[in-house]
Amino acid sequence: MSTPNALDEQNLIEALKRGDQSAFEQAVSEHTAGMMSVARFYVDPSSAEEVVQDCWVTVIEAIQRFEGRSSLKTWLHRIVANRCKNRLRTSNREINTDFSEALEPELDNRFKPSGRWATPPRLRFDESADALMENGALSDCLDKHLGQLPETQRSALILYEAHQHKSEDVCNILDVSASNLRVMLHRARQKIFLMVETFQETGEC
Amino acid sequence: MLMCRDLAGIASDYIDGELGFGKSLSIKVHLMMCKDCRSFIGNLRMSARLMQGHSSARVDGDVIDRIQDRVTAALEERKPPNNPGQ
Repeated sequence: MSTPNALDEQNLIEALKRGDQSAFEQAVSEHTAGMMSVARFYVDPSSAEEVVQDCWVTVIEAIQRFEGRSSLKTWLHRIVANRCKNRLRTSNREINTDFSEALEPELDNRFKPSGRWATPPRLRFDESADALMENGALSDCLDKHLGQLPETQRSALILYEAHQHKSEDVCNILDVSASNLRVMLHRARQKIFLMVETFQETGEC
Repeated sequence: MLMCRDLAGIASDYIDGELGFGKSLSIKVHLMMCKDCRSFIGNLRMSARLMQGHSSARVDGDVIDRIQDRVTAALEERKPPNNPGQ
């Protein structure tokens, strides 16, 4: 997403503190997607954009107090999380989370009572992940399945894998325990694995 | 004894290096003997990497445009009024 003229993080932060409009344009285009992922963990999709918009307006002033103790990304994600938590407190809305079993039922059914595989994994990766993603149909299929994941799992997966947050930061931003995060990540990865396996075998999404 | 189903339940913890030495070692031993579990771990690792390379957190350009407009308007409001006399 960065352009040849994009500022590095330190220069970007300094330009944001000066209220530089092009710096805000860069920051908005680089960080909004991640902020939306955080917001969608807490609030419904239609409210997520409103929350993120409000956060950016807050950032115009709040950036003066940013001391660089975390990355800009983590700081922005925490602002979104805090705003969402306040909103939840006022609306009494509960977050719907499912932290029960570690195995997806579809995968769990593939074991014999003895605990050995009855239907072993059939997926064979002959290509790198990058090469696989160049398959547009597979990429679209991944988009579709990500869209069907529960918001909790999707947000955890996106923040951890796509945005490369540390576990500790994801727990802090999403306000979940380390063990719950582990389950969410594992369940989400299994779903992706099952999806790719079906796609490779049948060509269907 | 660690069975395939047990391993599948903690496979992500293994991949991410979140297991203690003992548990991690028992998985390594199991993997040496079990082709199916080696395949599963490889599959799960690739599933995680698919996500890393995927711009899954994309948002519509319209959303970005609306936010840019709002931020620009807020920045304009902060600017002190022009004083041509100085």
